[in-house]
Amino acid sequence: MKALIVDDSQIMRRIIVSVLKKAGVNDISEVNNGQEALDVLKQDKDIGLVLLDWNMPVMTGIETLKHIRTTNKQLPVVMVTTESEKERVVEAIKAGANDYMLKPFNPDDVLEKLRKYLESGGK
Amino acid sequence: MEKISINPFIDAVQEAFDSMVGYPANRIEALPAPSQVHLPDLIGVIGLSGTAQGVVALRFPMTTALAVINAMAGASFDKVDAAVIDGIGELVNIVTGCAKGKLKGHTISISLPTVVSGDICRLSNAKDTVWVEVPFESKLGVFSLVLTLKQVVANRQEVAREGVNSR
Repeated sequence: MKALIVDDSQIMRRIIVSVLKKAGVNDISEVNNGQEALDVLKQDKDIGLVLLDWNMPVMTGIETLKHIRTTNKQLPVVMVTTESEKERVVEAIKAGANDYMLKPFNPDDVLEKLRKYLESGGK
Repeated sequence: MEKISINPFIDAVQEAFDSMVGYPANRIEALPAPSQVHLPDLIGVIGLSGTAQGVVALRFPMTTALAVINAMAGASFDKVDAAVIDGIGELVNIVTGCAKGKLKGHTISISLPTVVSGDICRLSNAKDTVWVEVPFESKLGVFSLVLTLKQVVANRQEVAREGVNSR
């Protein structure tokens, strides 16, 4: 299983990498924004899980999610964001997010939530 | 005019420290004198716009900033570099985003975070605003939440002059 972390904060990426490694995921790509994520996804078909921030420069998470869903309906995409308003959550789920995690989070809770995607191999 | 409570921001700081930093942060009456807390400071700043306008900042002595980011990221940074600055920016972003979700009845946008550093002894407020500083301590050191808020009424006929309320 290969995972892609999309977040403009290098510290947040580092925290998520640590969570994924705890779950045994060592093949991890990291990018700064949505456009870079789309570029990686175009080239790397082995990615089985995307962890996506909402507020990023160049291309936001929600725009990225909509782009991903035009070509790939199956790839699990989990939003990891500070956007807690109900409208935002609904918008993301309608756009095709598989799950929604709020910052601040406890890394162990994230691990628990991601387990179903990791165990299914990104299906 | 309904005042804006700063309690959601205080709760958000405590939630962020409990969950992401892994060390509880508790309110204290006052910060120690500056000479005792290893100046200069590192301050993460974020702006609010919409029905509540203002600035939210987390102000850390350098030593506390390093300890907090090391705890949060499982790292061992020994000096303030781009990663530590990024971490302080992300922390103020998380706290403000979390508080925004708790401020019911408001439509608020938050800016990208900015981090400033230096021997900053005093923050000056703009017209019609007041700074509130809420000191905290944790096992990683002391720090403070600093904010100024101004509520904007929907029809813009009136702006609250005393729009800050603490518990």
